[in-house]
Amino acid sequence: MAEFFGPLVSAFALPFMARALVVLLALSLVAGIVGVLVNLRSLEFISDGLTHSVFPGIAIGFVWGGREGLFVGAMVAAILAAIVLTLITRRAVSGDAAIAIVFTAMFSIGILVVSRQTNYAGQLEQLLFGRLLTVTTAEVAQTLTICAIALLLVGLTLKQQVFRAFDRTALAAAGYRPLLLDLVLNIAIALVVVAASSAVGNLLVLAVLIVPGAVARLITVRLWLLFPLAAVFAALCAWVGLAVGYEASVTAGIDLPSGATVVLVLVAGYLLVLVGRLAVDRMRRPASAVPAAGAQPETVAT
Amino acid sequence: MPAALALRVAGASFAYAQTPALTGIDFDLHAGEAVALIGPNGSGKSTLLKGILGLIHRTAGTVEVLGHATAPAGTVGYVPQTDELDPEFPVSLEQVVMMGRYRALGWLRLPGKKDRQAVAAALDTVGLSNLAKTRFGELSGGQQQRGLLARAVAAGPRLLLLDEPFNGLDQSNRDALVGTVERLKADGVAVLVSTHDLELARAVCERVLLLNGSQVAFGARESVLTLENVQRTFHEVGVEMDQHTLVIPGHEGH
Repeated sequence: MAEFFGPLVSAFALPFMARALVVLLALSLVAGIVGVLVNLRSLEFISDGLTHSVFPGIAIGFVWGGREGLFVGAMVAAILAAIVLTLITRRAVSGDAAIAIVFTAMFSIGILVVSRQTNYAGQLEQLLFGRLLTVTTAEVAQTLTICAIALLLVGLTLKQQVFRAFDRTALAAAGYRPLLLDLVLNIAIALVVVAASSAVGNLLVLAVLIVPGAVARLITVRLWLLFPLAAVFAALCAWVGLAVGYEASVTAGIDLPSGATVVLVLVAGYLLVLVGRLAVDRMRRPASAVPAAGAQPETVAT
Repeated sequence: MPAALALRVAGASFAYAQTPALTGIDFDLHAGEAVALIGPNGSGKSTLLKGILGLIHRTAGTVEVLGHATAPAGTVGYVPQTDELDPEFPVSLEQVVMMGRYRALGWLRLPGKKDRQAVAAALDTVGLSNLAKTRFGELSGGQQQRGLLARAVAAGPRLLLLDEPFNGLDQSNRDALVGTVERLKADGVAVLVSTHDLELARAVCERVLLLNGSQVAFGARESVLTLENVQRTFHEVGVEMDQHTLVIPGHEGH
């Protein structure tokens, strides 16, 4: 047992691994909660658009101020993108087309900005795929702050966000402003993208945001259980992914990019849960295929 | 002394973007009264309800809810058509009804004993207490409608807007809904209900508004529901009507 679990703990005695773990655990908590709302609202495409739109901010910030400028640039781009996105989805005739056009354009701007640098390929790789193991203490603090703001935004509006996801018109009839709630959620998503970009990279952020919520939906239909389940699943995958990457490097000499490893563990976890869910559904099917006369629907404890 | 005015719509027109959807609407609704909106599919019934909620652009006229240009928060309950909702949404009936309490709870407070009692009472009112823990999407269409009505009831509204609540319901669900609407009226709630169902209009509504892109007629039920008015409203599909029944080809309700 110690041989199996030892690497899951020992790797994090190293400061750079501990910093990486702290960043990913904070991200897991926030991305888990925000990700469930993304899932309930079917905002996966919009989230993808946001990751693209934050990229020019990251690139401009990086070119302008190096690693220290990255967060500032990303934050500015994130807030602007969230506002533009909220207005587009409210007013555009074809929301998906508008999102695709605006955000691929934004991504191209980011690449153009980075391409003006001398070490173009190396810098682009860092921005796209992250550099989890070289995260500094200052960056950990920045990530924790951004995660805390995103968590606060979603936490303060969580009941209303769920109401919005279920029935927008009734929410408006109750006197709430759906546009305001949409803006809050889009800013929270954008902040998660910013926080995750330096860790797992701009291209892989989407997995951190989408997979935990999708896994929680496969496991339970209990509304308020979705949020902790998604966060715990994301945290477990982050922990295992980091440890696997470290072990592969130390014991087998295989240099695995840590961000990509974590994402692959997330996806493997999703597939495992999916297979389990399909198996459970298959086992239940014979009994439920022909419901007994007068049978009551399945009940959901709350 | 006449009951307090809950809703006044004067010379109102509504549009989606630049496309006019409904024009020339004039009517009022008092506390404890019900008005039926009757018209064919696409006549503007849902548009009018959403226009009153301020969700659709008003291009002319005025809408006053409880004497205000904008409905005071928490005073209007809205019951949508259930096919507008995601049947896979992971939420129980009890949690749906609790959404009706969110306005009273505010942003930060979690539901307490008083809120749970209000939810239980609302479920009892619509006769669904035994299904409180059931996932909303697993309820029948009629039970979902009653659940959404319970959500509106839990909020304690003074004006209730119901969008085609009786479509496809069996007799027991219809009776339960009619009973609930009657109780709400007795408590002073003003009810505006869109329907194809003349029987319902006769059962619970004192006045009727006939619509077909614009207002055809409005007034006391018996004076408005004449064959001539109804034929003018449904002129494209043709109707037959006797003292109790309105037969509208292509519509499930009658």
